[in-house]
Amino acid sequence: MNHLFLPEADPVGVSLRGFARAHPELVALHEDPLFVTATDTDPARRVGLLSGGGSGHEPMHAGFVGRGLLDAAVPGRIFASPHNRQVYEASRAVARAEGVLHIVKNYTGDRINFGIAAERLRADGIAVRRVLVDDDLATESDLTATGRRGTGATVIVEKLLGGAADTGLGIAELATLGEEFARSSRSVAVAGRAQTSPSLGGEVFALGDREIEYGVGIHGERAAATITRPPFGHLVERMTAQVLDGLPGTGDGVILLVNGLGATTLLELYAVHEQVSEVLARRGVPVAGQLVGTHVPALDMSGFSLTMTAVRTGWLAWWRAPARTPAFPHPHSQELNG
Amino acid sequence: MTIDQSQVLRTYAEAARVAHEALTALDQISGDGDFGDNLCEGLDRTVAALDASPEEPAVAVAGSVFLDQVGGTSGPLIGLLLSAIGRALAEAPDPRAGWATGVREGLAAIQRVGEAEPGDRTMVDALAPARDALAEGEKFADVARAAFAGAAATAGIRARRGRASYVGDRVLGAPDPGATGVALLFWSLARVAEPEAVLGEVGELVPVPGSGA
Repeated sequence: MNHLFLPEADPVGVSLRGFARAHPELVALHEDPLFVTATDTDPARRVGLLSGGGSGHEPMHAGFVGRGLLDAAVPGRIFASPHNRQVYEASRAVARAEGVLHIVKNYTGDRINFGIAAERLRADGIAVRRVLVDDDLATESDLTATGRRGTGATVIVEKLLGGAADTGLGIAELATLGEEFARSSRSVAVAGRAQTSPSLGGEVFALGDREIEYGVGIHGERAAATITRPPFGHLVERMTAQVLDGLPGTGDGVILLVNGLGATTLLELYAVHEQVSEVLARRGVPVAGQLVGTHVPALDMSGFSLTMTAVRTGWLAWWRAPARTPAFPHPHSQELNG
Repeated sequence: MTIDQSQVLRTYAEAARVAHEALTALDQISGDGDFGDNLCEGLDRTVAALDASPEEPAVAVAGSVFLDQVGGTSGPLIGLLLSAIGRALAEAPDPRAGWATGVREGLAAIQRVGEAEPGDRTMVDALAPARDALAEGEKFADVARAAFAGAAATAGIRARRGRASYVGDRVLGAPDPGATGVALLFWSLARVAEPEAVLGEVGELVPVPGSGA
C-alpha cells in the first residue's frame, strides 16, 4: 500500500510547479533545468545564497526562498542530489557582484554535483564558495572519511546566512560565518515509523510495536540502533543531553529547532519542545531562539529531530532579522519581542 | 602538429563501445553498474553533436555534453576533464601543450570536486600518471601506457571513497571502471596522433572480468 498521493510521473516537477503557482509573489519557477528563485531580495545583498538537495524534505529548500533567506533552491528527485546543471544554471541566475554561496548538506552526491557546478561557475568567472552542513550526531565516527550527515541544522544555517547576507557582507566573510554556524550545530533524530517508499509503497523498514529507531537520517536511513521505546520524558532527555554534549560549547545560548519528520503532529512537537526546554533550563542553557514545526522531514516518516546551534555574539540579530518566504515563520516570533 | 580532436573523440566512442561489456562488469563489482552505459551514452551524444555542428571545437563540445546530459557522478566528472582540455586546446600554442595543460587542470578540478587522492581507487589513478607523462613530454603512446598501468594498479586497492568503499575487499582483483574508462581517452588520443605506435587493442587492454582473456 502506498500512502503517498503523488502523480506517477515527475512528482517533484509537478509539486514545484504547484508550489510556484501558490506563491507567485515570492518565488519564480524555472524549468529545464528545474529550480526556483526569489522574486524579491534585499538590494544590499552582494552574494546570492543558493541551496538544494534531494526532494522529500519540504518545505526545505524551496520554502525558504524569498527576502531575507535564500535566493534560489534546486530540487533533486526524491532523496537524490540535483544534477550539476540545475545548480549551475540556478547559480548563474542569482549570482551577485560577489558571486554565489552554496549551502550544501554533507552527502557524497550533493558534494560532487554542487562541486561540479562550482567548477563550471569558476570557469565562467563567477566566484563560488560552499558551506557544508554536517550536524547529525548519529553519523559521527572516526571510521569513515565521509563525516556527519547534514540534516536539520541546514534551516538554521540558511536563516543565519540570509540575515548576514542582507547586511552586505562579502562572499569570504559569509563562507567563514557559514562554516562557523555549521560547526556550532548538532542534531539527532528518532522515528517510530519509517517513511513510505515512493517507488514501492509500504514502509521502508519495519519496527515492532514497542520499538523506535534512534538516530535516523532524513532519507529513511535506518539508525545504528533499534531500541525499546523509553517513556517520552526519558527519550527527550536522552536526546537533549546527546545534542548538548555533542556541541562544541553552548556559546551565548542555543537556537533550538524541534523538527517533525513528516507525519508527526504539532501536538507532539510542542510537547517535545516543552520537555527539551525544561531540560535546557535545568542545565542552565539559555534558549536564544527557537523554531518548532515540520521544516526538514524525511517524506512521511513518523518521528522528530532535535537541533541546537550554539550562538555567539551578533548571531541573534541575523536569526531575528525579518524573512518573507513561503515557509519560514513570519512574522518571526522573535522579531516581535526583540 | 595538429591532432584531429573530432577523430580522437570518435575513436574514444568506438573504444568505449568495444569495452562496454567489460566496463559494465567491472562497475557491477565495485559500483552500481552504470559506468559503461554513461560513458557510451556521453560519447554517442558527443558524436551526434559533432555531426550536427562540425565547426565547433570538438573536445569542448564533448565537455558540455557530458556536463549537461550525462547522469551519475562519473559523467559530469568526465565533463570537467574534457571541458578543461577543450579550454586548454583553444588557448595553447600547440596541441601537445594543450593536452598537458588541459589534463593537469581537469584532474585538479576533479580532485577539488571529488576530493579523491591517488590510491583511493578512482579515475584519479589513471589521470595522475597520464598528467605526469604529459608534463614530461612523453609520446602519447607512453601517456596511454601510463594511464593503463595506473588503472591496472587499482585492482590491488581497496576503495576509500565513492560507492566502492562500501564493498571492501570484494573489489580486489578487478580494476576500477572509472580509471579504466578514462585510460581509453589516452589510448584514443595516441591512436589518432601517433598511428604508427604499437598499442594493444581495446579488447586486450580491457578484458571482461572472468572471461579468461
